[in-house]
Amino acid sequence: MSSWLDYTINGLILGNVYALVAVGLALIFGVSRLINFAQGSIYLVGAYIGWVAVVQLRTPLFVTIVVVALVSALVGLIIERFGLRPLQNSVRIAPLLATIGISFVLDQIVMLTFSPNPRALPSQLPDIRFQIGTGTIGPLDILIACIGITTALLLFVFLRYSKLGWAVRATAQDRDAAMQMGVDVNRVNQTVFGIAAALGGLSGMLVGMYYNQIDTAMSLHATLKGVVAEVVGGAGNVPGAVAGSLLLGLVESYGVAIFGTSYRNMFAFILLILVLVFRPNGLFASAKQAPPEPLTGTFIAPSRPVHIPRWALGIAFVAFALLPLLPVSNYVLQTLINAWIFAMLALSLTLVAGTIGQVSLGHAALLAIGAYTSALLSLDFSVPVSMSIVCGGFMSAALGTLLISPSFRLRGHYVSIATLAIGEIISLVILNWETVTRGPIGVSGIPPLSLFGYELVSTASIYWFSFAVMVVLALLQMRLLGSHIGRSFRAIRDDDVAARAYGLSLNRYKALAFIFGGFAAGVSGGIAAHLYSYINHETFNTQQSILALTIVILGGLGNVAGAIVGSVALVGLPEIFRIAAEYRILIYGIVLLLLVRFRPQGLLGTI
Amino acid sequence: MRNISRRSLVKGSLAAVVTGAAMSRTALAQSSDPITLGVSGPLTGPNAQYGAQWKQGFDLALDEIHAAGGINGRKLVYVFEDSQSDPRQSVAIAQKFVSDSKIVMELGDFSSTASMAASPIYQRGGLVQFGFTNSHPDFTKGGDFMWSTSVSQADEQPLLARYAVTHLGLKKLAILHLNTDWGRTSRDHFANAAKEYGAEVVISEGYIADERDFRSTLVRARDANPDGLILISYYSDGALIARQARQAGLKQTICAASSVYSPKFLELGGDAVEDIHLGTRYFPEDPRPEVQKFVSGFKAKYNGQEPDAFNVYAYDAMNVAAAVVRIGGTDRRAIRDAFPKIKDVPTVIFGPATFDVASRRVKGAMNAELVIRKGQFTLWDGKQKS
Amino acid sequence: MAEQGNTSLLSLRGLTRRFGGLTAVDGIDLDLAKGDLVSIIGPNGAGKTTLFNLVTGLDRPDAGEVRLDGQAFTGYSPEKMAANGIARTFQLGRVFGNLSVMENVLIGAHTRLRAVKPATPLIGPLLELGLALWRPASVTAEEEQLREEVKGILARFGERLLPRIDQPAYSLSYANRRRVEIARALALKPRLLLLDEPTAGMNPTETTEMQGLVAELKAEGMTILLIEHKLDMVMRLSDRVIVMDEGKKIAEGAGEEVRNDAKVIEAYLGHGLSQSAADAQETAA
Repeated sequence: MSSWLDYTINGLILGNVYALVAVGLALIFGVSRLINFAQGSIYLVGAYIGWVAVVQLRTPLFVTIVVVALVSALVGLIIERFGLRPLQNSVRIAPLLATIGISFVLDQIVMLTFSPNPRALPSQLPDIRFQIGTGTIGPLDILIACIGITTALLLFVFLRYSKLGWAVRATAQDRDAAMQMGVDVNRVNQTVFGIAAALGGLSGMLVGMYYNQIDTAMSLHATLKGVVAEVVGGAGNVPGAVAGSLLLGLVESYGVAIFGTSYRNMFAFILLILVLVFRPNGLFASAKQAPPEPLTGTFIAPSRPVHIPRWALGIAFVAFALLPLLPVSNYVLQTLINAWIFAMLALSLTLVAGTIGQVSLGHAALLAIGAYTSALLSLDFSVPVSMSIVCGGFMSAALGTLLISPSFRLRGHYVSIATLAIGEIISLVILNWETVTRGPIGVSGIPPLSLFGYELVSTASIYWFSFAVMVVLALLQMRLLGSHIGRSFRAIRDDDVAARAYGLSLNRYKALAFIFGGFAAGVSGGIAAHLYSYINHETFNTQQSILALTIVILGGLGNVAGAIVGSVALVGLPEIFRIAAEYRILIYGIVLLLLVRFRPQGLLGTI
Repeated sequence: MRNISRRSLVKGSLAAVVTGAAMSRTALAQSSDPITLGVSGPLTGPNAQYGAQWKQGFDLALDEIHAAGGINGRKLVYVFEDSQSDPRQSVAIAQKFVSDSKIVMELGDFSSTASMAASPIYQRGGLVQFGFTNSHPDFTKGGDFMWSTSVSQADEQPLLARYAVTHLGLKKLAILHLNTDWGRTSRDHFANAAKEYGAEVVISEGYIADERDFRSTLVRARDANPDGLILISYYSDGALIARQARQAGLKQTICAASSVYSPKFLELGGDAVEDIHLGTRYFPEDPRPEVQKFVSGFKAKYNGQEPDAFNVYAYDAMNVAAAVVRIGGTDRRAIRDAFPKIKDVPTVIFGPATFDVASRRVKGAMNAELVIRKGQFTLWDGKQKS
Repeated sequence: MAEQGNTSLLSLRGLTRRFGGLTAVDGIDLDLAKGDLVSIIGPNGAGKTTLFNLVTGLDRPDAGEVRLDGQAFTGYSPEKMAANGIARTFQLGRVFGNLSVMENVLIGAHTRLRAVKPATPLIGPLLELGLALWRPASVTAEEEQLREEVKGILARFGERLLPRIDQPAYSLSYANRRRVEIARALALKPRLLLLDEPTAGMNPTETTEMQGLVAELKAEGMTILLIEHKLDMVMRLSDRVIVMDEGKKIAEGAGEEVRNDAKVIEAYLGHGLSQSAADAQETAA
């Protein structure tokens, strides 16, 4: 059927577009072993600079390309010099978080400068179309392909045959050795960042022209797809990134062809998980390499946790418990209710990311599983609400752990990518599995919170309920941390090779961490569902996951008190500073960057 | 090393509490004090553009209300809290408004997710939650404090179906819709109505909001052999689909829901949107005085900018709110009770608007059948192509 | 006293590991009887650590077999090897940085936990979770007992580790961290102890102390496989010495025999390093 030709061409065209982002990511990973989550933001910056050039300055295409490339490169250099270089000797988690923080900051700066309205970006190329199959392609398709291929080729040649290129590859293999051999590692990093950023910005501009539309939401989408393409092709491998992008485009295209549009992104992420599980080096990685010398040094910052004396905790507990009895406005109580619910998620994430070192970026999915389970049980099966929330917790523990288990065999940044993908998959399943979840319509009319048959109607009662649940979960978690399991979790986090050598089964303990954490997250989601009375697939999204991670870092990885303090801070402070609401996300990004730079162990210290 | 203890947190929150209490200590209703509405909506985040459009609509309506003497001599003002259309924040804002006795009514939120999450608080707190762009059919079921001027899709989509099937003569329809609660409800109502008018829905594809590439979706649609393409989209995704459809060589007639109605649709779609048909609730050339007043006022206030759907909804909502406050005064219960009492408030969308007490909505939205010719929205002249 | 005869505790036959074109370990045969201390020496890159990785399960051999007490253990996971009494230390020292000294050593005893880690299949992990949270008397007693044992092990190191028992390992000196590693290995109550360059980076005093400790362990009957560069120490401690070069075993025998073996000298000199000469100077100092 000629349609298959069309699907194939569409897939290749789409892959072509993804390739531009993926190559930039591959370059940076190749040199600094860093997944640059800010690449999509540079892409965004490039698109808007392009708009300024084309629409306001009216520069011809060639000049526009040069301007965008230069400005983007400059942005990349600034990021490398001030955002990442100071973290060189810092713990490995720091650059990962820094790029997330940078992406928040850049996105917000663009949004505040240009307003979030989508705008057109005319392509300045003649509007001729060439027939291919039953569809057409235009000059922009050809331009993008040319730029993509040329860049890949140039980079390939550069890396293989030029002196600076060798320096880049040497640094990628072994930074310390390269330094000792006289390679100016800083210059190498700068060069690579500059090139990757120029590519990123250029691709944003080209894609904006391609669709005749740019808007500030482009950024995350580009990062996600770019990361998928890059990992599939083989992280750090430039030709692999191109091949991975084309493959991704084809998979999405055929996925739509066979199953329909609403499943589209699911295929991208399933492909990613399959590759990570079966061929973590990527599909197009070069011949088997020697396994790298197991890296010594920990992924997490060494720290002494701030010791909060028992009596101080006691006073705080009593104060917060008695708060509703004081003449306090319901607004404050509601804010704290939000904080307690978020704290349960933060407790869960701090256990999983902090204590056992699985930096999960898809944690909101566990909220969703708990929320839907509780909502549906109480609505469809008239299960009493308190019981359905507990069931939500168990379901999240069981199902969540099962779904996340493919990531157990991965290490470092790959864990984050895999969990991000799994979170997206779960969200898409919820969207599409209509018979159970009601699809996009969502679940409405969820019964309110109730305990032993009494509906919890007043704000005070809801406050006490959520506070009590949170305190119980926190105490259980502290007990867990004090046991041999807590010790085992931390050992695995600090050095999983040594941990295995002393009999700790990684799968077993990672599963236990997600079971316990999943329960807490599921309960949190369940309570939220009954509080909101309406949930859909958007209620618990990736932004929540990343926000939760920021809270956990703020409080201190693995630190129970820190998770609670962080939640109160990041939920409460924005309410106090509501005037600055526009800058909220910008401030989160800056906070994250400052933390990572100056206090990666968080306020209360990593445990 | 800093020693952040729980104590300093408690101190901090007590301070916030005292401030909050001071702020909500009621300014006793003096007759020259402004009447305050609370608005919960997105000022930042992915839906920020709509919040900005709301403000434009509100401000225009308020200018006119004040020029005509305000509410019995008092000014009407609004406090806009940024919810980012996020249920967590809309819930906190709800509590804030409920606790602030100056606020007599709430408008918003943008999405159903954010609105409905906050409904229990408004209902329990006895503050009217007046939705005007959240279109979930269950919104008003949250309680008797939930009122809405959102055009119900049950009213709107059959009008589009009639346009597409009866007037344009399309018999085999391919529907592309946003996979949100709004998109899905709309699609269901459209499909049912289309079938009743005698057409067949040959394929229906739902896509998520940040989708950019529709080519393969369009191939699928094309392979179902439709004679018409129905877009249940917002203007940005609608423009993308239109462009890619034409680039893919699809020549079918395209008919779109009123949500694409915006000058942005023309800007983003370029030549591809030529000859696209759409049903809207209002049209600038509509001679009705409400419409003309709105359009000329909008252009005058905003430097010749053309208004779009969200500007209109907000404008109408503010006018309805003013009418309610005129009857209900500043007591929250009285305001709730005033909703069924208002009669024939002049609005752009509905013409004279009256609430149906049972559903707490307004029925009978206006309808204009438009088509895009030469890059402009024009009333449909009955011909298929220009 | 070392046992005679064929009852080897550890037995390797034809153990091989290749990485792409490079053969890191090439057909190694080895027999280690109970109570023996055998040292493996050789120039850098000879494959010694890789051999350790193969024996402890951290890496899988491409060919050959590993036997413990006659039973096949080839290619088993490190967890399983640990559960069967194999403990090892690492070439660059791998302690758990954020864990205290006590906690580090307690991890060593992990495979010996019984009360809190029932071996029930399937629901075992859940039982473990439940017991850890509930903490019945048997669990608390086990933990207490282990803690006492750890203090006993740490006492071996005099005043070096006991006063720092609750400090995080990252705050210790390098030498202390290596001691913690050994303590951790001892907590496993191993029947076979593999030490990978335990004195690397230590000064002469520290080296002598470590040497004394290893001698003590041997005297107590521990079976030890030792990788070392400091030939003096090797000579004093070993029952037998094996020399590896480029993955192969090039010599095996008593210390003095091996030291004067021409092939061995050439292997060291030929690689541009005269490790033995350097060490001789060091111990003479």
